[in-house]
Amino acid sequence: MNAERPIGLTKGPGETQHEFTFVSPDREDVLKVGEFVLHRAEIDGQERQVLSRVTARAPLRLYPDGFLAAPEIDPNDVAAVFGYGGTSHERFELTAAVIGYYDERLGDFINPRIPPRAGRPLYLAPDDLLSAVLSKATAGEQGAAHIGSLLSRERGRVPLALDLRAVTSTHMAIIANTGAGKSYLAAVLLEELMKPNNRAAVLIVDPHGEYGTLAEMMGHEAFVEADYSPDVRVFRPGDVKVRTAGLTIGDLSYLLPNLSERMEYLLRRAHRDVTRDSLQEKGKPDRWTVAELQIRLRQLGEGGDSEDEAPDDRYAGTADALIWRLESVIKGAAIFDDFEHLDLAELFRPGRCSVLQLDEVDSRQQQIMVATLLRRAFRARTQTEKGAVGEGDELYLPYPVFILIEEAHHFAPAAADVVSTQVLKQVLSEGRKFGLAVGLISQRPGRLDPDALSQCNTQFLLRIVNPIDQARVAESVETVGRELLRELPALTKGQVIVAGEAVNTPVLCRVRSRHTPHGAESPDAPALWHRWFSGSGKRRKGARPAGRYDDEEKLYK
Amino acid sequence: MIVGKIIQSNAHNDYVCQVYQRDEVENPPAREDYAFGRFVRIRLDDDRALVGLVYDTRLFNPEFGRLGPRLSPQEDLQVFAPDYLREKATLIGIAAVGSIESDGTIRQGMPELAADTDALVERMPDEDIRAFHLEGEALRLAYAPGLLASESPHVLPLILNVLARLAVLLPEQAAMLALLEDDVQWKAAVAPLGGER
Repeated sequence: MNAERPIGLTKGPGETQHEFTFVSPDREDVLKVGEFVLHRAEIDGQERQVLSRVTARAPLRLYPDGFLAAPEIDPNDVAAVFGYGGTSHERFELTAAVIGYYDERLGDFINPRIPPRAGRPLYLAPDDLLSAVLSKATAGEQGAAHIGSLLSRERGRVPLALDLRAVTSTHMAIIANTGAGKSYLAAVLLEELMKPNNRAAVLIVDPHGEYGTLAEMMGHEAFVEADYSPDVRVFRPGDVKVRTAGLTIGDLSYLLPNLSERMEYLLRRAHRDVTRDSLQEKGKPDRWTVAELQIRLRQLGEGGDSEDEAPDDRYAGTADALIWRLESVIKGAAIFDDFEHLDLAELFRPGRCSVLQLDEVDSRQQQIMVATLLRRAFRARTQTEKGAVGEGDELYLPYPVFILIEEAHHFAPAAADVVSTQVLKQVLSEGRKFGLAVGLISQRPGRLDPDALSQCNTQFLLRIVNPIDQARVAESVETVGRELLRELPALTKGQVIVAGEAVNTPVLCRVRSRHTPHGAESPDAPALWHRWFSGSGKRRKGARPAGRYDDEEKLYK
Repeated sequence: MIVGKIIQSNAHNDYVCQVYQRDEVENPPAREDYAFGRFVRIRLDDDRALVGLVYDTRLFNPEFGRLGPRLSPQEDLQVFAPDYLREKATLIGIAAVGSIESDGTIRQGMPELAADTDALVERMPDEDIRAFHLEGEALRLAYAPGLLASESPHVLPLILNVLARLAVLLPEQAAMLALLEDDVQWKAAVAPLGGER
């Protein structure tokens, strides 16, 4: 396609002030929805190339229905019978939304706020121009994440590189239906974060154990440089401990649901007492043990240590019930420990990708684990940035960290009160200042807390079919226009709308291939069923089960 | 080639020309000279003319309808009342689509001046047709919208005829003419059957 040859001519205004229509024969079928065209306009005495995005396409000339009644007859031949001898009758009316001209000085698009005049030529935007102006970064450079290429052009022709500075400071969200490729995209992003040009400190909360294959980044030629090789640590549930003393009263109440008011009261008092004692005796408030909490509960139950009441045993039953529940929920869970918890510096380190696999952990414990982790990371970053902690302190975390959370609707649901929601929202609203960024991945945006979603300033939207989910995305994601949102159900696997801080304008992108194998393929159930039959000692094909009626005979032939 | 003379007008730019017959002039015009879509000049005076386009043909026959017997046989009429025979005529409708001024200036569209009765109508040479449709090197068909506005069933075939003729005379304008022809063809052939735009 010759970039100097006009591809169409402007026709008139569109539905909004920023839209216009144009007509093109488009004989080479290049004007896909999402494609970029440009027109030249003189703005403030300077000729500018104003970029617009094609948002709709409709054929202008339509044959009468009668011409289309016989599928085996070409309607062009029917038209020729009536004397129409045109060979290229097709022409299309396309709607385009003005993005603006790229201002090098501002590093952003400026909308001229005036649509092109009627009859002006439009050109297909050249590849090199698009590469330069759509991405905020250049693939391969520090702070860039090459996630794929522009969907409307051939694969690889217009590479798209995100600005990781934006992603890792103002948070991001990956939203898609199951099977649309969200885990794949997340893995591509993680690969980019771990490349030698970025060397990020990343943790991914992996409730389904899909990201284990990222370990293959270690030693892979795409990730290795003379002084660098990424480190991928996969933490299984038994490897990561939550120190029980780090649990707040809110966490405890959440872990022990449906507490009566009396239980809540007793637990609150016991928690306050053991925290106070821990501070007095051990110098820190979070050094108590579950056993100490249980002892304190027993004391309170017996009324022997009451501060303001005469000794009595009216709380004995309540205390016993709480002690039993603590025994069953906390002591029985592999993730809680009285003394140990994973060192933050072990989880977060530049050049390290920590995969926190939680696939065998109870859902409430997963939420507690994420809440605790976020709380600790947030505290560590704020304390470190304020200079309140120094090297050697367990809360010393002297670099920004990025936490990617799969199944985010589970940790910040829309219509339920979950222990991790509050801290997640705090990180989303305040984390930017302290270099703590979060990426939310969800297949059910309709179930994700709308505040949490709206705080993610870079959005990756893959195929979304459910109307409730589409509505939530439309409501929470302001940077994507409605014309692009209309594309959501039509996207196929690996096609993504990228919008927000990390790109100069929303773009439809084809995700690049991963360097490491993908770990989230769905099992091939029919193949596995067949494999079962081919195993020794299993029922052979053709063997008829006893007690079946004759009509089934044919099924086994 | 003189085709005939103006005998009346229906409007400022719509004339009726009576085609010369065999016994009226020495060299009567051939059918091709006043065919549908032919360009003609309507003389205003020695060096000025209207440019016209033949858009209609009508045969005039006063005898049609007189079905009763005649007292005089046809042979006698030739001797005693030859005028009767010449009352049969071929009339052509001419749309005036422009003018040629005395200094050679060409104007397309509604002409300013009107022709007189008996003004001579002659077939326009190819060279003049070419010159009439060019402004510098650019093709001009400024009269076409006026014709289309008439909504006459003759207009689309008329313009297609003109475009086909111009494609032969102005091969350098082929791309532009093909675009116009395609558009008019769609309007003429497909749109009446229900095709959209």
